[in-house]
Order: sequence, then structure tokens, then C-alpha cells
Amino acid sequence: MTITCERIDDLLFEGDAASLELAETHARGCLACREKLDDWNDISRTAKSMQTTWPSDTLWPRIQRAIANETRSRAPMILRVAAALAVTIGLAGILAYALHLHHEKQKAFDQAILRVTALDEVERAEKAHLIAINNLEKLAAPKLEEPQTPILVSYKEKLMLLDDAIAECQTNIDHNRQNAQVRKQLLSMYSEKQRTLQDVLREGNHVSNP
Amino acid sequence: MQAVATLTRPVNRPEISPAAEFELLFRTHGERMKSIAYNHLGSVSEAEDAVQETFLKIHRASDTYNGESSFSTWAYRILINTCYDILRKRRRRGDEESIDANPIERTASTVDDAKRIMLRRLLESLPEQRRTVFTLFEIDGLSHAEIAETLGITEANSKWILFSTKKQLQEQWRKSQ
Repeated sequence: MTITCERIDDLLFEGDAASLELAETHARGCLACREKLDDWNDISRTAKSMQTTWPSDTLWPRIQRAIANETRSRAPMILRVAAALAVTIGLAGILAYALHLHHEKQKAFDQAILRVTALDEVERAEKAHLIAINNLEKLAAPKLEEPQTPILVSYKEKLMLLDDAIAECQTNIDHNRQNAQVRKQLLSMYSEKQRTLQDVLREGNHVSNP
Repeated sequence: MQAVATLTRPVNRPEISPAAEFELLFRTHGERMKSIAYNHLGSVSEAEDAVQETFLKIHRASDTYNGESSFSTWAYRILINTCYDILRKRRRRGDEESIDANPIERTASTVDDAKRIMLRRLLESLPEQRRTVFTLFEIDGLSHAEIAETLGITEANSKWILFSTKKQLQEQWRKSQ
């Protein structure tokens, strides 16, 4: 096979024994390719001579020690991680319990506030009733002192019964301010007394007008 | 050394302990690894440090070795990356590449030291990948298949890098003579 100078690079690229042999054959008759091939082979020869070895009896024991040290330091690391995890879980538990307590306290406080607020509202309503009743009583007093008609007499009796019931309720409330049932009864009795006084006033006007 | 057994499938032999198996790996591949490291770093002590660091990394990463590549190419890949790290640190520090004066046994003695020093100087100026391909093929005698697996490139690419690197060296070689 005839090899041209242009093909030398292809042969060197392939780099296998057969290709290099063909390149060598061509270089025997071509000075330019001879120089090129000589340098090529010189580099390879020099490179191969650079393969190095030296006695290193201490290297393996060094590696063994390094691995053993790392294995030893890895074990306490696992323990440290486990301890840190346990502490974290413990702290999380304590925090959760504290939050729960705080939440319960807050709930109780909120409920107490609600109760106080509701009571205040009820007491304000009672006061409004009392003011209205006092005003009506002043107006109705002359007609109730000496009732002129049977109906006014029955209104007067009804009002006396209501006053007794109201007094009883107020005694109960003095013992337990938060008794909602008694409060409700008192309010309905105030309302009833207010309505009755209004009826008295209407009845009185009806009587005096004719 | 508990995880060595999973790592050393290529030499996995039930009759030897994991520690002994790991030592066997060093006995089998250690010399070539030392040579590869030396030819990248130019210093015996740094080459030994790199080999030690590589075996530590192998020990740490033994769980990730899946046996797809051969143990040797996997180990060489770790070694070469370790050498690159050392070279980068050295460059950051502004240190010059060192050529060790320690006595080194050469496998061939027909080439004079002047040529070896000249080639080493030329190799130092090459980019990392070119230098590694040349070193692995020409100095340490790895095949293109092994180089391809070690560096994660194709065989054809390995061949091309070697050819173009040698062409570049050839021009400088003649000028330097």
C-alpha cells in the first residue's frame, strides 16, 4: 500500500500498531515525515519513561489510620445527632404543652370577659327599666293611692305582687350575680311592671276624661 | 470499614474481611494511582496525600458505588478530581508547579532527564483535560476505553484529544530541542 504525506496524520490519529507501522514504512523514504515521526515517537518514549514508582511503606498504614479516625469520629457524630434530636423533640413537646396551657388560659379569660360584658349589658337594661318605671310610678302614684275603678284596684294589687317578686329576684341576684335565669325573670318582671303602669296611666286618663 | 464490602464488588471474595479487601484494592491499584497523581502534581508528598484523600473519599462514598463502571476507573476519576482540586488551590495561592527532587524509580532509563523535564514543563502549560488524557494514555498506559470511562467522554473524543495534544506538543518539542 502506498502512503502519501497527507495520510500520515490519519495514521498517527489511529495510533494502533498497524497504522504506526505503515507510517514508519512511509517515513523511511520521506525526510519531512521522518522528522515528524521521530518527534512523535520521542514524545511517546519520553512519556513512557515518566511512569513513576517509589517505595511508600508508610502510605497504607496512613490511609488505614485516617479511615479508622474518620469511622471513630463518625460514631460520636451519630450519637450527637441522636441526642440533639431527642432534645429537640423534648423541647417541642414542652413548647406544645405551654402553648396548650396558654390557649386554655386565653379561652377561660375570653369566656370570663364575655360573661362580664353580657352582665354589664343586662345591668344597663335593668337600669333603663328602673328609670322608666320610676318615672311612670311618679305619674301613676296619685291614681293608685285611691283607685277610683275596680280595674285600677286590680292593677294596684298586680303591681304589689310584682314588687314582691322583684324584691325576691333582687335578693337572689345579690347572692349570685351571674345567675342568668333570675336575671331574665327580673327583666321580664320589670317589663311587666312597666306595661302595667302604662295601662294604669291610660286607665286613669280614660276615667278622668269623661 | 463496614461499607467496603458493597464497594469492592470487583474483588468481592467471601473468604476475606472488608478491611483486608480494602487493603487488597490499595495493593492492586495503589501504584498506578500514585503514578497518576505524581504526573498531575509533580510532587511525591502531594501525590501520596492525593491517594490518601482518594481512599478516604472512596470509603465515604462506598454506598454510592453502583458497580456500573469498573472500580479502577471510578477510583481514577475520584483521584483526578482530587488532583485538580490540589492544583486549583495551588494556583489560588500563587504557588508554582513543583517538580519533586525526591528520588523516583523510572520504569525506563533510556531517556535522559532533560527530555523528561522538558516534557513535564510542556505538560504543565496544557489545559487540565488535555494534560490528563495525555498522561493517562502515554505515561500510565490506560486504554482509550478506560480514559473515556474515567473522564466521562467518548472513546473517539479521547483519541482526538490525544492526537491534537501530541500535535501541539510536537511543534513545541522541536522548538525546544
